[in-house]
Amino acid sequence: MSPGSSNPVEFGFVCPLSDGLHARPASQMAKFVAEFVSQFWLVNQRTGTSANLKSPLAIISADVRGGDTCSIRILGPDQEQAARALEQFLGQELAKENENSLPIEAALPQTLPRALQSPAITRYPGVPVSPGIGKGKAVVVGRLSLSQPLNGDSPASREQEERRVERAIATLRARLQALLSRSMSAAEKAVLEAHQSILDDVSFTERITASLAAGQSAGEALIATGKYFISLLKSSESAYVRERAVDVEEICLRLLEEIDGPRFGSARVTLEEPSVLVAETLAPQQLLEVDRRWLSGLVLEYAGTTSHAVILARSLGIPAIVGVKDAPVILTPGEQIVVDANRGFVVPNGNPTVHRFYDREWQTQRWRQQALSRHSTARAITRDGQRIEVGANICSGEESAAALAQGAEAIGLFRTEFLFLGRERAPSEDEQFAAYAEAARGAKRRVTIRTIDVGGDKPIPLLNLPTESNPYLGYRGMRIYREHQDLFRTQLRAILRASAVGPVQIMAPMVSTIEEVLWLKEQLGESQEDFERRKIAFDPLLPVGIMIEVPSVAFNLDQFSAEVDFFSIGTNDLNQYFMAVDRDNARVAKLANVRQPSFLRFLKHIVDAVQRNGKWVGMCGEMAGDVRNLPLLLGLGLHGISVSSPEIPALKRTISRFSVHECRQLLLEAIECARLEEVDELLRNFTSHEPVQPLLDPELVIVNSDSRTKEEAIRELIDSLYIASRTENPDHLEGLVWAREQTCSTGLGDGFAIPHCRSDAVKANSIAILKLDHPIEWDAIDQKPVSTVILLAVRESDTSNAHLQVLAKLARRLMNAQFRDEVSQLKESGEILTHLSRELQIPLQPQ
Amino acid sequence: MKIVAVTACPTGIAHTYMAAEQLEKTARALGHEIKVETQGAMGIENELDENEIRQAQVAIFAIDIEIEKRERFRQLKVIQVPVQEAIKNPKSVFLRLQG
Repeated sequence: MSPGSSNPVEFGFVCPLSDGLHARPASQMAKFVAEFVSQFWLVNQRTGTSANLKSPLAIISADVRGGDTCSIRILGPDQEQAARALEQFLGQELAKENENSLPIEAALPQTLPRALQSPAITRYPGVPVSPGIGKGKAVVVGRLSLSQPLNGDSPASREQEERRVERAIATLRARLQALLSRSMSAAEKAVLEAHQSILDDVSFTERITASLAAGQSAGEALIATGKYFISLLKSSESAYVRERAVDVEEICLRLLEEIDGPRFGSARVTLEEPSVLVAETLAPQQLLEVDRRWLSGLVLEYAGTTSHAVILARSLGIPAIVGVKDAPVILTPGEQIVVDANRGFVVPNGNPTVHRFYDREWQTQRWRQQALSRHSTARAITRDGQRIEVGANICSGEESAAALAQGAEAIGLFRTEFLFLGRERAPSEDEQFAAYAEAARGAKRRVTIRTIDVGGDKPIPLLNLPTESNPYLGYRGMRIYREHQDLFRTQLRAILRASAVGPVQIMAPMVSTIEEVLWLKEQLGESQEDFERRKIAFDPLLPVGIMIEVPSVAFNLDQFSAEVDFFSIGTNDLNQYFMAVDRDNARVAKLANVRQPSFLRFLKHIVDAVQRNGKWVGMCGEMAGDVRNLPLLLGLGLHGISVSSPEIPALKRTISRFSVHECRQLLLEAIECARLEEVDELLRNFTSHEPVQPLLDPELVIVNSDSRTKEEAIRELIDSLYIASRTENPDHLEGLVWAREQTCSTGLGDGFAIPHCRSDAVKANSIAILKLDHPIEWDAIDQKPVSTVILLAVRESDTSNAHLQVLAKLARRLMNAQFRDEVSQLKESGEILTHLSRELQIPLQPQ
Repeated sequence: MKIVAVTACPTGIAHTYMAAEQLEKTARALGHEIKVETQGAMGIENELDENEIRQAQVAIFAIDIEIEKRERFRQLKVIQVPVQEAIKNPKSVFLRLQG
């Protein structure tokens, strides 16, 4: 305690944070008290640990949990003032932390495929963290541990021990460097760099040196250092900080290997056939060492979504689930298992029903990919030959390749704020560059990078933005850039660097005045000058654009057009500002309809004004993603739209059925409407005349099916809808068909069944047909087995009666014995299609 | 016999129409005069008017759900069967008319 005659000030406080004093509040507190000369101590009454309040690490290690009583002691010349300020800080600022905590992700309730519902099938639930389905032999990986005794380590002189540690660090650093020089994904690189940074950490090496000075051997010093940091990190209330313990542990073990010989034992595995790794936890380098040809999945007991193993799995496309309780014990080594990371469980693959289900599921996924890539090569062109660019909205660099596979013609919106979410510190320039460059490379097309868009409505912990009473009208989007200039500059530099890799452009969110654009361009100009001086490559013609979200921009477009290269309309915000509606307020949310005639008129004003100025204008809000709005968007004359990847195939197909000329007429009529209902009515009539996806499609006819049960037959039909991108949620649809089946069997007799459902989970009204090789039991009205199954799937919200009339006609025809007889005789898919289209008088192709 | 009928099933895209077809076909075969109103996904079709209902001797409801505008039939004898029965064995439905 510091010398002085005065008595310290003391007071108590109860931690108000449900998550305790974890890394973020700890560093906030440390920052706050740093301004005072006095010294500060905190004593956690529950544990008895005391901590210097000026050290975040010390605060974290005091393990103050929600509700813990602590006492604070302050001593120094400004102690009175400091005590008052700190009490106020604890009472007000710290309490706000609770509001910033991110909600825990709850698993969505889901319908399970019928084949997996049998009580005979054991499923081990977990949290899916990297999507996909992986099958293979369970390979249980042993736990890494620093607790194993050293092999035979007698300390030599201190100098010799220091040299052993230095040599080990140098060797490991060189090995990491060598790994880094190989070509790899941004995620792999980031992980290895994080490991390098542990080796270079001052406190890490200081701790080793201190242990050596106390007479420990090199091995003992490494173990002591490792354990010290691991317990410190593990006791953190922040999942992100806790996850870093595995990284420190692995680094220490690697160093120990250099000094003390092999230590990995059962933790080092060789794969020889398709395998699923099962482990308590997995260290990142452990995962990178595995032969990826044979790695089909990952099951971890303890790992969070931010652990490096998970980040790697995601970037490598390896299906992974975490939080599987006792995974290494309940899963037998050598057993065939399936990691279903789409649904969130592990299931042994021994049961024949399970086995067949996943064989088919795997085939379905492959066919769907093939079907998607067929559509993805085609450009979006309207019936009258007009082009509209269909881009994808993405949140990470990794998503760009997947977007391209879905048929994206550009990345219309890269939401960079996701790189900043859930982080204690902002991503570095290098890390951001890697993400942007990956997007540019993956997309091979133009990538529009929107600079960080956060604020009162989208809080991010690391910026510590104030809580506001009216966040949508507050401190958000580019309005925060001036205050957080370093952060913004870093992002600008990363984007500039990426512009040398591929065609990227930059876009600012929440612009309301020209001054903001001029400021942004000034910042960009300064970075460009700096790049030139340092001879760093960048694209000098990097296009600069803005979001149109604030209505003021719409009435200043001639001036904005002189300053920027392109515009993108963000309909969510623009609409809520235009209608004066908080979309999160359920009482008024209904007013925020983008098809209000006034809003359509407003949009037309915007698009016309931009086009008059010869600039590019697109749309990236939710309005663009809803296929029902498409005729209006085409009528507006937008140059492009950007939507989430899964929407793209359906949108592109729909675009090819419209004519821009007719859509323009429709829009002109729509903006003359007085009421929303009139617009919707216009749209309904318009689309009912437009040929939508045909009811019948060769893709939906399956002959020679080997389905053995009603379950399999229904699933096969649902899968055909999924392959044809007519549904994105086959499990849900299957559940609905079965729910219908419970009310009464759809087996009509004479070997026919017509399972059906009505739901918007199906994207286009469909008739899918299955001809079975071997008749199956259906509980039909005549108790005879079924060999022809016709699935009818209709959209709930569908208002066009044309399709329903066809289905009614089909239902009536099925009551005719001769019709049934004819259809059951047909064996080829072509014959079936021709026959049905003739009988039902429907076209096979869109007109 | 002059008969009016209503068919309605929960989903309203198939069984409603199959039942209607069966009732119409069987009525014809048995020499009855019938008009069948369907209440399906397209709403009410082939709607029965006051006059038609007044002239009918009996109404057949082949329904699995509550129907709309039931009050129109207040004055009429109603035979109600599950949709399934009208599809599976329409003749038995008409046999009940004798009773």
